[in-house]
Amino acid sequence: MIDPFRESGLLQNRRQFFSRSSTGIGVAALASLLNIEASSAGEMSHSLELGVPHFAPRAKRVIYLLQSGAPSQVDLLDYKPTLEKLHMSELPDSVRDGQRLTGMTAGQKRFPVVKSPWKFQRHGKSGTWISDLLPHMSAVVDDICVVRSMHTEAINHDPAVTFFQSGHQQPGRPSIGAWLSYGLGSETENLPAFVVLLSKNTFNQAQPLYDRLWGSGFLSSRHQGVKFRSQGDPVLYLSDPAAGDRTQRRALLDRLAKLNRLREREIGDPEISTRIAQYEMAYRMQASVPELADISGEPASTFKLYGEEAKRPGTHAANCLLARRLAERGVRFIQVFHRGWDHHSNVRGNLPTLAKQTDQGSAALITDLKQRGMLDDTLVIWGGEFGRTVYAQGNPRSFGRDHHPRCFSIWMAGGGIKGGQTYGETDDFCYNVVNNPVHVHDFHATILHCLGIDHERLTYRFQGRDYRLTDVHGKVVKSILV
Amino acid sequence: MLHTLPGKSIALLLLVTPHIAMAADDVEFQRRVLPILSNHCFPCHGPDAKTREAGLRLDVRESAIKRDRSGNRAIAPGDVGASELVLRVTADDEADRMPPVDGGKPLSPEQIEVLKKWIEQGADYQSHWAFSRPVMPKKPRVQRASWVKNEIDRFVLARLESEGLEPAAEASRETLIRRVSFDLTGLPPTPAEIDAFLSDKSPNAYARVVDHYLDSSAYGEHMARHWLDLARYADSNGYQYDTERQQWVWRDWVIDAYNRNKPFDDFTVEQLAGDLLPDATAQQKLATGFNRNHGITIEGGVIDEEYRTEYVMDRLVTTGAVWMALTIGCARCHDHKYDPISQKEFYQLYAFFNQVPERGANGFAPKERIASPLAAAQQQKRHAEMSRLRAELKKPANVETQLARWTREIARSPAGGWSVLRPEKIKSSGGTRLTRLDDNSILAGGSNPSKDIYEISARTDATKLTGIRLEALMHETLPGGGPGRHSNSNFVLSELELTAVSERDPSKQEAIKFVRAIADYSQAGYEVARAIDGTVANSKGWAVDGPTRKKPATAMFVAAAPFGYEGGTELRFRLRHEANFGTHGMGRPRLSVTTDAPELLQLKGVPSDIREIAVKAKDRRTRAQKERLRDYFLTHHNPNQALQDRISAIEREAAGSFPETMIMQDMSKPRATRVLDRGQYNEPMEVVEPGVPEIFPAMKAESLSESRKSYRNRLDFARWLVDPDHPLTARVAVNRYWQRLFGVGLVKTSEDLGVQGELPSHPALLDWLALEFVRSGWDIKHMHRLLLNSATYRQTSHVGAAAYRRDPENRLLARGPRMRLDAEEVRDAALATSGLLVQRLGGRSVYPYQPKGLWLELNNRPGYSKEYKQGKGDALYRRSLYTFWKRTVPSPMLKTLDAPEREFCTIQRSRTNTPLQALLLLNGPQFVEAARKLGERMMTEGGRAIDERITFGFRLMTGREPGRGELIVFREAYAEELKRYSKDKAAALKLLKVGESPFNAELDAAELAAMTSLARLILNTDEAITKG
Repeated sequence: MIDPFRESGLLQNRRQFFSRSSTGIGVAALASLLNIEASSAGEMSHSLELGVPHFAPRAKRVIYLLQSGAPSQVDLLDYKPTLEKLHMSELPDSVRDGQRLTGMTAGQKRFPVVKSPWKFQRHGKSGTWISDLLPHMSAVVDDICVVRSMHTEAINHDPAVTFFQSGHQQPGRPSIGAWLSYGLGSETENLPAFVVLLSKNTFNQAQPLYDRLWGSGFLSSRHQGVKFRSQGDPVLYLSDPAAGDRTQRRALLDRLAKLNRLREREIGDPEISTRIAQYEMAYRMQASVPELADISGEPASTFKLYGEEAKRPGTHAANCLLARRLAERGVRFIQVFHRGWDHHSNVRGNLPTLAKQTDQGSAALITDLKQRGMLDDTLVIWGGEFGRTVYAQGNPRSFGRDHHPRCFSIWMAGGGIKGGQTYGETDDFCYNVVNNPVHVHDFHATILHCLGIDHERLTYRFQGRDYRLTDVHGKVVKSILV
Repeated sequence: MLHTLPGKSIALLLLVTPHIAMAADDVEFQRRVLPILSNHCFPCHGPDAKTREAGLRLDVRESAIKRDRSGNRAIAPGDVGASELVLRVTADDEADRMPPVDGGKPLSPEQIEVLKKWIEQGADYQSHWAFSRPVMPKKPRVQRASWVKNEIDRFVLARLESEGLEPAAEASRETLIRRVSFDLTGLPPTPAEIDAFLSDKSPNAYARVVDHYLDSSAYGEHMARHWLDLARYADSNGYQYDTERQQWVWRDWVIDAYNRNKPFDDFTVEQLAGDLLPDATAQQKLATGFNRNHGITIEGGVIDEEYRTEYVMDRLVTTGAVWMALTIGCARCHDHKYDPISQKEFYQLYAFFNQVPERGANGFAPKERIASPLAAAQQQKRHAEMSRLRAELKKPANVETQLARWTREIARSPAGGWSVLRPEKIKSSGGTRLTRLDDNSILAGGSNPSKDIYEISARTDATKLTGIRLEALMHETLPGGGPGRHSNSNFVLSELELTAVSERDPSKQEAIKFVRAIADYSQAGYEVARAIDGTVANSKGWAVDGPTRKKPATAMFVAAAPFGYEGGTELRFRLRHEANFGTHGMGRPRLSVTTDAPELLQLKGVPSDIREIAVKAKDRRTRAQKERLRDYFLTHHNPNQALQDRISAIEREAAGSFPETMIMQDMSKPRATRVLDRGQYNEPMEVVEPGVPEIFPAMKAESLSESRKSYRNRLDFARWLVDPDHPLTARVAVNRYWQRLFGVGLVKTSEDLGVQGELPSHPALLDWLALEFVRSGWDIKHMHRLLLNSATYRQTSHVGAAAYRRDPENRLLARGPRMRLDAEEVRDAALATSGLLVQRLGGRSVYPYQPKGLWLELNNRPGYSKEYKQGKGDALYRRSLYTFWKRTVPSPMLKTLDAPEREFCTIQRSRTNTPLQALLLLNGPQFVEAARKLGERMMTEGGRAIDERITFGFRLMTGREPGRGELIVFREAYAEELKRYSKDKAAALKLLKVGESPFNAELDAAELAAMTSLARLILNTDEAITKG
């Protein structure tokens, strides 16, 4: 993991190596690496500047259930009784207020408002309004905070999801998980700091995903997310295609270490020690990853909670369960990507399917973490990259909903977030935020805050500029914190 | 001299001192003061006019020392007490203190001391070093002059001596040749190359090695590979759907340019503006693909102008970074915070790249079909071959000679041949009238059904039949003379089937399976093999280009096993015409059988009577026989057929082998460029003219053509970049060459030579190299020759841990470079040493091994997604530079080893050391397979004794022989692995079967498996993946 030649954020490496020294990494390697750091004054001062966490964190880790394609806030989380009256009326220009439209509805002549076909009810002690499409989430409303006032600038998927993941609409910046790996390092010896889980996609109009969404941008590539796959090896190249057993591999690694040490003695390059250490971690991962992915030891109660679907690899429920197992093992940032929310037509038919795919697993994750006493220091997030229009795309009867950046809803839970509340407010049309807007930059600033990081001070110097996840913006949304 | 002429030397010193002092001050300001001002003050008191507070500007001395209205001066040179700046940075009261609490980072006491001392000494400013053109530095004096091999070393040594350090010894020859080979070709040296170098006792042996690799075509591939990162080259379009693009022809241009050693100024001008050159050639247009390599979206519903703007931005930002190492993009939304580039100037530069007739969504035009220059060499070869063949075709064919040769061949070939079958029963399923002719062919006539099956039955007494022949003959009653029944003379035979039935016991039947089909002619896409592929409906079959060709054709089908029953066999043929083409029956088929050994079966095997004639001595043939022979020859052989076939094959090859490639183009009427407020496409402000920032030398008017005096374009911009007066272009390029060889550039921030960039470790050396580059005529190979021949480069990297601790990044250059190989080099080295590497220049990108499902798991949208289709054969073993580069899912082999996504320009890759890399090298099928092939080489080429074999393999990978300690480890490993695999043959086979290439079955499986394990060990050593 150590790259003494390129890395500015050395503090985390130091922490890693201190903790690792107790589990058997060569002491000589440790010593020489630390010496390198000490000798490089410029980098030292930067690492001190980094000095994270900047204050006591509430959350140690994050599980982010990203709902790619953009779920419809007006049908799920943002209850709008006002639409009963406005149903089928034309969206007034005063409300649209010059909002640019995507190429998909720019040619549409009418913009009839369509109310949600589903009922909303109050739930929990908090009386949070939730759509009937989310029965399981309804049961945990007192643990979550629904933010109804999210907004963004992007109106198309690629820039919007790139914005959520990296704080910038165009490719090139590090993803949020990479920032956290850089800023906080890993809590575990045996697994990467940033793990990505993908649901198997079942909706044929779903938006694609791309490696850069968990990429490291200009940060060292070691910070990029590692994909845990539901087919083949969970981690690429994890298993030996020649099916060698563990004793054979151990013997190979011992010999390899011997050979490498012979060279190190002659050359003196500390990179060789690091190489030995990385092969050791690979060896540990070959045991820890299959152990992690093997859910056969989970009791029946787990599957009662997450549903039988959790037994099928690649479902949202299975990934929620895996996320909990990863969190237990000290992974810093776990991101589940679920696709299929992009309903330009037939919301009535498509939305219940997607809600069903994600509802139980998401709710189970919260309950499960809570039961294990982990919800307090695990921040859980559920949400898409923008919202959907209240007006119909296409035929108002079999309607679809187009992309909508001006307002949308997400929920957050645990890790410093005050549960049982609804934050922010949209207008009667569910079109504009009228109270307590939360921009994507604010959302990022708040996540970092929960983790004990001042978003203005987590920086990385690249091309002469100190970059931040929040660029030059972002305000922590204090009201939703504990 | 000093002793004899003391007075003079003192005078000399006095003269020199001010200069040295100034140089020191320079560094003092730039190294110590400017970074403080720039980092902490410029954001509000710097070049950006919009965010400037209190009208105070600290990046310009004039403004910084000016009195404000109340008579205060931010900086009072020489008077710390009167300097407001000092008062403010040291103020106790938070409200007064700078930088403000909510703004920049606070200053440390040391930084404040630096500022005070600087003001005390007069607060001199120096302009940023990289914005003034390099001046020829004085040759530094050194003590150990004998170490110096060329000018580079003098600069390096002077610095070492000033630090009290000594250079390291020269590296061993084994290390050197490996270093040079990787640095120039990206491949390890071969044992033969190493041996030649080790035994070359001449004084210029090393220089010869450098030249050898500079001359290798792998040099161009390797240099291009680096350039592709800068050029954000990819084989896919990026953004969300990331569909495939065809830009590899441009990639071939880069390889070719490096191999031809195209001077860097031409290399620059052609890539940036080749299309605008007077009488631009196709190749010069092709070069401009450089600035079409950015991503292009096809996402539904995007706004065109938003994305078109991004493409232009990308071009400018990339060009600025690659040629000037400037962070130009920082001035997109506001004036640059650190470098003197205003927002307006940004858009003046933008104007050069804003003239392409393109759109945002699906913005692939303009495109052009241009041949790859690498294939151009092939093209030339083709052209020469064509001329030769055409000339030959014009000569009258010498029928007698050909006939004589053919007759001799017939006579020599084994007896047997084809016996024509006499059809007994003939039936058409579709109602065609089938008539047996005298020559036992069957003529089709009458109605012409859409689909038809000809059922033909014949008998034979022969047994051990090995094949059948089907002739498609012509006839005057057929449309156009045949051979097919369709009005265009074609036929499509979708399937040929044969059942053999014993005449003695009809319950004995066998459906004959054919394993091979060959024809003297098949239409492209309708190969004869399709007539025995087992499918009929909707599938294609055998066709013969009836519309254009109108000639007979013959096909031969080889049976899987000999057939035919004792006591006679009835042969029931089914000629099925059921492909998607109606009325495409055969016009006049004729069937034959043979008992020739399958390997002797010749197409057009001659009838037995002809053979009999041919076997006779020439003078014993009757006139009738001679005529029969000649007739047969002429009916079946066009004496020019071979020539004609060859010519049409070449023509097919030449045409359509290149896709359309995206290139640059300017609109005939220039598009007006406006400053964009906050960089937003939909917030245009005032119009600007194309131009360059004021801080740089102006464009030279004389280089503009008369008609364009008033309007500057991309070509003017490109020429301006390579003007010898440009302060950045040459420095940036040589700095990158240095970075490539030594791991870190002379300026570490090779992506930023602006104010916020690091200062050079050896400023004079950088300037000398830049000037030498220009002086040499921008000769890239010359620069590499210089760098690689320097004593600096030739130092050993084996200097002990203390030296690594003292200078981890080797900025002082007291040792040779040592670093992990790049992703492509790691893979290529494994392929090369194992003998798997397929070295072929250029061409379409290929699809090597990749775990299943990686593409579809991210994108499975119908119509917009594709499964990764792993290549076969050679495609698995090409150099990594040719690996299909999909931006959203880069090859995991390369990505794991720090290859970038190529979504944007990358000047420096990360170089990490991770567990995922260990997993890849240990378990990736490509590497396991390479280990097995290396194991095979160790056994077959390495000698008999185990030590010899170990040494052979180890040397292939590392270039050196193993030491005694290492040998012991390997020997033990081998013994243990051999024991394991001797006991467990299944495990051995499992290991040997990894990869598509077959394992050498002549070797003992257990031994080979053990040797493979050994090779895996070698492949995974730190040394194997490190340039030492």
